[in-house]
Amino acid sequence: MPRSCESPAGASPSPARILADLPNVVPLTQNMEHSAPLRIVLAKVGLDGHDRGVKVVSRALRDAGFHVIYPGLWQSPEAVVRTVADEDADWLGISLLSGTHMTLVPRILEMLGAAGLKHVGVLVGGIIPETDIPKLKALGVARVFGPGTPLDEIVEFLRHEGSRTHA
Amino acid sequence: MLDEIVARYRAGDRLALARLLTLIARGEELEAVHAALASASNKALVVAITGSAGVGKSTLVGRLAEHLRAGNKTVAVLACDPQSPLTGGALLGDRVRMPSRPEDAGLYIRSVAATSGNQALAEHLELMTRALAAFGFDVILLETVGAGQGDTAARSLSDVLVVLVQPESGDELQWEKAGLLEVADVVVVHKADMAGAERTQAQVKELLGLPGCRPIPVLAVSSTKNTGFDELWATISAQPRRLDAAASDAGSLLRRAQQILAERFHDRATSLAPLVERWKRHEVDETQAADELLSVLSR
Repeated sequence: MPRSCESPAGASPSPARILADLPNVVPLTQNMEHSAPLRIVLAKVGLDGHDRGVKVVSRALRDAGFHVIYPGLWQSPEAVVRTVADEDADWLGISLLSGTHMTLVPRILEMLGAAGLKHVGVLVGGIIPETDIPKLKALGVARVFGPGTPLDEIVEFLRHEGSRTHA
Repeated sequence: MLDEIVARYRAGDRLALARLLTLIARGEELEAVHAALASASNKALVVAITGSAGVGKSTLVGRLAEHLRAGNKTVAVLACDPQSPLTGGALLGDRVRMPSRPEDAGLYIRSVAATSGNQALAEHLELMTRALAAFGFDVILLETVGAGQGDTAARSLSDVLVVLVQPESGDELQWEKAGLLEVADVVVVHKADMAGAERTQAQVKELLGLPGCRPIPVLAVSSTKNTGFDELWATISAQPRRLDAAASDAGSLLRRAQQILAERFHDRATSLAPLVERWKRHEVDETQAADELLSVLSR
């Protein structure tokens, strides 16, 4: 026979039970003292299916205590900006291995500005020729991380920069 | 700062909504946020979707959201993924399986890092839900972390709790064991295009349909084939709204009192610290300290 049909979970806890739980609120509030984790959207944009790199970076940032939001492959610039807005991200990391960075990155930066998201820091990773790095930085990209970048370097950079959103 | 965010939020600024949700998720200024939302309308239908990891919660939520948008209902999704208890880090990947509709103001998707078994989670999610409801969304879909202990909280946070199961999850004895089915308002056999779905549906129906039990609908839904969503939504809409009923019971009043207390402990931590120090130095006894503590908290 199954358990009683009306589940205990469905009923309200008794007043005595709730009062008995009260001490639990104290340790819980102590945990809140840590600084809040940075939220970073990592995005693959356009027709670029190479996601090994972005997944490795996702894992490293997760393990370093960041909150990583990964929306998947083949994002349009519009979709990326919408994700950054709705997720209230502090940072956006764009991974590009398709050679389209000089088209897509400027478009995303422009759309971020238009959406009132200029405060969001932008990082680029992937295959970016040396000569394009100063151009991307001039457009407002905070850093470009190429192949072979030690993961700690990305973590340290973000820790040092912190949030430009939630100062 | 909060006043400005709340003013923009009330004016329908989506970025302000996003920021408000961040503040709530971080447990910052909860008392003020509560106060700001106290008189806000709360007409949204809150549907929680739960089930074990890999059963297809995100996919179903995404499909359901699209279905609702096609019917002109505005939808907000709170998608929970687990947060590491060791580092506090999280990889929030539910968006991968959700629709991308960047031009659509009627769909809002927010990823939430959730610690399991933490009452604060429930508190923050409840307030996030209210912030979304007051912003004007018709339906709020609350996707839980893979099923477990936390699902009792999902039930108390939602009008309707949908539990997902999938074919080939073991024989009928597994359904007897699975405590999760007890809290369901609606059960969905997801991946209904797969072999064994009908048998699973029959087993769950048989278990839940024993004489004397309140009848719980058991539906077959396939997100791959996009079937069963009309019936799913019709069934969800026909369920009584739990939050309406809960709003007037004594348990919810006490729960709210507990939340207020937790918020005040947090907000007034600095004024409590000297008192604790005095108590440690035996300058006040426990009763006096407790009295003073209460007076700090009740201000």
